[in-house]
Amino acid sequence: MTLSTCLVLAAALFSIGVYGLLSRRQLVAILLSVELMANAGNIVFIAFSHFRGGSLGQVFTIFSLALTVAEVVVGLALVLLLYRRHGDTQVGLASEMKG
Amino acid sequence: MNVLSLALLALLAPAAAAAVLAVVPVLRRHGWPAAAVCVLGSTVSFAAALAILARSLDDPGPHQQVVPWLKASSTAVAEVGVRVDGVVAAMLVVVTLVALCVQVFSLGYMHDEPRPGYGRYFAYHALFLLSMNVLVVAPNLLQLFVGWELVGVTSYLLIGFYYRKPSAARAALKAFWVTKFADMGFLIGLFVLFVASGSFGWDAKLAPGVATVVTLLFFLAVVGKSAQFPLHVWLPDAMEGPTPVSALLHAATMVAAGVFLVVRADPLFAQAPDTRSIMLGLGAATALFAACLALVQTDIKKVLAYSTCSQLGYMIAALGAGSALAGFFHLTTHAFFKALLFLAAGSAIHAVHSNDIRDMGGLARRMPLTTAAFVAGALALAGIPGLSGFFSKDMVLEAVEGKLGSVPWAALLLTAFLTAFYMGRVVFVAFFGTPSGPAAEHAHEPGWSMRGPLLVLTVLAVGAGLLARPFATLYGAEYHFAMGAGPTLAAALALGGFTLAYVVFGRARGQEPGVTAWVARLAETSAIDRFYELTYRRVALVVADGLGWFDRYVVDGLINVLGYSTLEAGSRVRGIQTGFAPDYVLAAMLGVVGLAFWAVLR
Amino acid sequence: METLAFSVVAACALLSAIAVVRSLDLVHAVLWLGVTLFATAALYAMLGASFIAGVQVLLYVGGVITLMIIGVMMTRRQSGAAARLERRWSEPAALAALAIFGTVTWAVVATDGLDAPAPPPAPSAADLGRALLHDHLLAFETVSMLLLAAMVGAIVISRRRDPGAVAKRPPVRAASASPVAPATSAEAAE
Repeated sequence: MTLSTCLVLAAALFSIGVYGLLSRRQLVAILLSVELMANAGNIVFIAFSHFRGGSLGQVFTIFSLALTVAEVVVGLALVLLLYRRHGDTQVGLASEMKG
Repeated sequence: MNVLSLALLALLAPAAAAAVLAVVPVLRRHGWPAAAVCVLGSTVSFAAALAILARSLDDPGPHQQVVPWLKASSTAVAEVGVRVDGVVAAMLVVVTLVALCVQVFSLGYMHDEPRPGYGRYFAYHALFLLSMNVLVVAPNLLQLFVGWELVGVTSYLLIGFYYRKPSAARAALKAFWVTKFADMGFLIGLFVLFVASGSFGWDAKLAPGVATVVTLLFFLAVVGKSAQFPLHVWLPDAMEGPTPVSALLHAATMVAAGVFLVVRADPLFAQAPDTRSIMLGLGAATALFAACLALVQTDIKKVLAYSTCSQLGYMIAALGAGSALAGFFHLTTHAFFKALLFLAAGSAIHAVHSNDIRDMGGLARRMPLTTAAFVAGALALAGIPGLSGFFSKDMVLEAVEGKLGSVPWAALLLTAFLTAFYMGRVVFVAFFGTPSGPAAEHAHEPGWSMRGPLLVLTVLAVGAGLLARPFATLYGAEYHFAMGAGPTLAAALALGGFTLAYVVFGRARGQEPGVTAWVARLAETSAIDRFYELTYRRVALVVADGLGWFDRYVVDGLINVLGYSTLEAGSRVRGIQTGFAPDYVLAAMLGVVGLAFWAVLR
Repeated sequence: METLAFSVVAACALLSAIAVVRSLDLVHAVLWLGVTLFATAALYAMLGASFIAGVQVLLYVGGVITLMIIGVMMTRRQSGAAARLERRWSEPAALAALAIFGTVTWAVVATDGLDAPAPPPAPSAADLGRALLHDHLLAFETVSMLLLAAMVGAIVISRRRDPGAVAKRPPVRAASASPVAPATSAEAAE
């Protein structure tokens, strides 16, 4: 368990999240992928905090957690809105900005 | 009042008249109020001119007052204002006097016009007098040019007075175009003069080559305005205008403006002997050429028009020979007798309702005053000894003698003979003999408004020769007259011409002998007209069409292509906006990858 | 020993993450995310951030996952069947993902001296609390504000506007999985 390994792991998780973000059609699924990405970021912070000392990494993680939760809350509200407008949570339905 | 204020008054009186008539259409609509305003303005102007003349005889020194007008830089200033000297004083009197006579004559002559037209006519006259005065009192060539152009506009308006008549409208345009083409020379000459000397004055010292260029350019304008060959073509057509207009503009004043320009710019022309030679040659050639054409015209006004061309040629030749005094004096006498001739012709035309001399005949018995006036004018024009034209022609001939191998001198002498001959022809065919038709039989004298000016001008045409000495003093030169070989020869030629005319035409019954029919071929200015028309159609129109095509397809096409391609590109690019959020995220991600890559690489 | 534990946890996290993005059933995907978050919490614990690990479990697994499930349940079709998700791989996404992974890994590998000799002592919860409320007080308060704003915003966004709107919306759809054509609401917005 070295810092590089942790970082590579975090990168892998992040990439998987990116894949999900870009390939999924359901809004909820996209939110899940975003969660993954945020999580990967947190891992990086914690890893650095552990291997380089100082509490800054963990402090950042606390804030990141809070922010991510807030983002999930708003995201779910948007999911509700999308569902109400179109009867489905397919993200392709919200294409009024086309052209 | 000092002379400058008087000059300003001479300017402002017709200006005020023109302004009032322009702004208050009611005056024009009723006709006679406009005439009254115009004549009033002209009278004031004439009175001022007389006052200036009186003062100038005592004190001919140039007085000048200018105000800055256009400022290009601290040193480059164009000015306008008033200038009074001997030349101006004389010219101003000539212009205002003839204008007043013509306007008074018009009161009767144009009486049958509908009221609004009558009013419009006098409004134009006021405008013309203003323009001519601006030209005469100009302190520099720039203001002279302003007056020049204004005069051109009023000429257009007056020639095209009967605008509903297609020939009149065409004639007005033709006059305007031909003179406008010539005015290019004036404008470019002004530019060159300014660049070379830093001002628009005529007393600049220029390098010989520059002087030649500038004077040649000005001469181009003179050729147009004073109807010299080959730009004389507009003057015969300008006879479409009312006869008093022909008398004023196209005999006495406007066409004389060209001569006046050369007189004013004499210091410049003195520095360009080559230009003077050209002027001498062209003037003499035009004089002879126009005299030939005058021989075969049947329209009395056209005879007088070509005669004007011819006499202007005399003036130009005199100027080319270096004697501005001779040219200027001939201008003055010519103004009087030519205006007289035109007005008398107008009286005859008014009586028989036709311009054609073949419709006249035997008018002497029925219209003695008109006949006397016309004959007096004809004699003066021909240069019969004792009359004004004799003295001024003599001055011209004396100046021209010996120059350019005396060829111009011989041409001018021949022209004198022809002048007497063609004027004799008109006199005998139109005024003597027997009436050719009912119209000529019932001719009668016109009213007093028309007779008055005829009388005045007759006196001047006959007696202006006596004014030669004071005239010369005003100009600032000496004048001696001696009945030497030259004048005698000229007098003999003039008398001979008249005699021949009597022999050929004297016993005619108002008819033309058939011999001149074939000579009519020679008359056609249409040769030149056709050349111009050909040039216009084949060259100018073709070039214009080509340029039009270029403008439409290349220039506009370029812009259209730009616009079209912008729209097309926009339409294509718009497809990027799918409205599908994950696509945008993908784009952002790719950007992030790029940035990360770049950050790592650094 | 430590390495083994780490490998197990790491493998868990990775596999469950892949499951999240490839699962065909939405509920399953949510649950797999829960597993991933648990694995991450274990990782945190191994990295000396036990407090954070605890918070992670509470907040994420407890709060976020629960919210997600509720969200999924609320936005189901009347028929009760869950939405079908994609089967196929998406090439551009994979490309982007691989690009990012490649870039970061290369950056990590290319940097020397990344692996320090001995890990220094991890901060305790008390240290963390002191840091939050003393050194980073401003940020702390700001984040609280942000949480408040998020809550209020979510409520405002998902409020029902007018009772008639619900009646106009066609909530009942045919039980097909394909994305519907733009609904009348979408057309009305054009």
